[in-house]
Amino acid sequence: MVVEAVTLGVASGELIVVEGPAASGKSTLLEVAAVARVPDAGAVWFAGRKLSTLQRASLPYVRRNIGYCTTYPLLIPEDSVLANVMLALAVRGEAPPTAERLAREALALVAIGDLAGRTVMSLSSGQKRLVALARAIAGPPPVVIADEPGATSGDLALQTVVHALAVARDHGAAVLCATANSMLAHELVVIGGRRIHLAQGRIAGAPAIGLVPPAPQAPYDSEPSEIESAVARLVPLAVDDSDLPTSLPATKEPR
Amino acid sequence: MKLAWLARGVHRQVSLHRRVVLGGAAAFCMLALLLGGARLGLLTATRWGAFIGQNVHVIVYLAEDVDPDRANGLAELLRRMPTVAHITSVEPTQALARLEKSAAALGAEALALADLEASYFPRSLEIGLRPASDLSQQASDLAKHLRGVPGVVQVDAMSEGLTRLSVWVRLGRRLGVAVLLTFGALTLGMLLELLLHSRSATRQRAAVLTQLGETTSGIRLPAMLWMAATALTGGGVGALFLTLGWRPLIGRLETSLGIASASPLPRLGLREIAAGLAFTLVVGLALGFFATPLPRPDDHA
Repeated sequence: MVVEAVTLGVASGELIVVEGPAASGKSTLLEVAAVARVPDAGAVWFAGRKLSTLQRASLPYVRRNIGYCTTYPLLIPEDSVLANVMLALAVRGEAPPTAERLAREALALVAIGDLAGRTVMSLSSGQKRLVALARAIAGPPPVVIADEPGATSGDLALQTVVHALAVARDHGAAVLCATANSMLAHELVVIGGRRIHLAQGRIAGAPAIGLVPPAPQAPYDSEPSEIESAVARLVPLAVDDSDLPTSLPATKEPR
Repeated sequence: MKLAWLARGVHRQVSLHRRVVLGGAAAFCMLALLLGGARLGLLTATRWGAFIGQNVHVIVYLAEDVDPDRANGLAELLRRMPTVAHITSVEPTQALARLEKSAAALGAEALALADLEASYFPRSLEIGLRPASDLSQQASDLAKHLRGVPGVVQVDAMSEGLTRLSVWVRLGRRLGVAVLLTFGALTLGMLLELLLHSRSATRQRAAVLTQLGETTSGIRLPAMLWMAATALTGGGVGALFLTLGWRPLIGRLETSLGIASASPLPRLGLREIAAGLAFTLVVGLALGFFATPLPRPDDHA
């Protein structure tokens, strides 16, 4: 599905819920924001940097600042639940003991702390989704992107997902969540999330959002340059760069 | 910190994919055996070639009236022939001594030879020819020429033995090449299987790590490290086996074939072992590099 005429920004400590029916472009939007897909046109900005100006080798350093929970969780089936969650923290450079502590906290947050020692292949699909969500929020990273985190979950699991995303947001992460589940969207709005409707690849009835990110929050104060802000912008396919809002940060040279 | 995660990654691979790791070690052991075996085989072949070269191919028995000076003159003439490698003049006393020695080795009583005198034995020239594929024919031709020389009473060309020897040498050479090729194909197959197994085992992990933001080198390094460790272990076992096993094996073979040589049995030197291990290490690193299939990179540049 092509995302068209969408400009979206999300700041640290903010939660945005992208709601829309199936095949409305939610997953594509999130893939582009998570640096998992290259947009045909437009640009993605992350922490004040336009990604198209970065060298290819720099992209992993952007990705590791994003906790991305996909519709179909990408996990290592033969590894334990704990090892899967720790892997994201390992990539971010956390020491093994710290990574284990943070991973256990994340697992406890999504109420599957007791599954830490189980292998992923022995879990149900719902449990796998929760593992993927735990991996996405572990830390948490500066940006958390969750695609249908509540799918195939019961009411209880839905509350767990809402709580986990709220905690990540409260720890300073910029949270972007897409769902077709209006109940989940409602719950997220109740805890302070901003709802955006997406239909046929366009934002319905909502203006483009430009954001000036707030100051970084713990636990990322050690690396302010990386997490000073988290802004993802998807510019309209039909609009030139000259139409971009003037409040966008200036393009920096690639590292 | 990075080292701690690397160590964990290598430990994970070894504990989760034991069969792949063991198969890999076996493949690298085969590679070491192939390389070291080829080197030692070459050294052994050279040694056996030298032994065959020292053998006597033609014996010329001289008449009683041929004195030592004349015998030496004839030997000097023969030495100038291009096909002749060496000539030994055997005096009657030496011939008797040899017979006594051989008889003693066979368990014959010394008393049985007590009546023999050196004068019963003719003076002789033992001729060794240069190694050639038609050694038997050359020996026959030389014997034919020498039969007409004055002072020569009899010439033994040893052609039957030489023909048999050349057949064995040819067979041995073909067998060696066949063993080498089979071993090479087997090793190649095992290494390829290791590569394919490793690729399927690391595919999902590589995709996950790419999504999590690991760099290409970070994704590849654990596989390269465990493969290098496997290569060194397998190669080391192969080198140890060759070092400990080759000499006794060849020693027994030579004893059974009746080959007695004063030169020491071949062995691998430290430099050769180090070079072989370095080669297996490079192969291991290369396999580790290609054993991690990376997802197609996104192109934001």
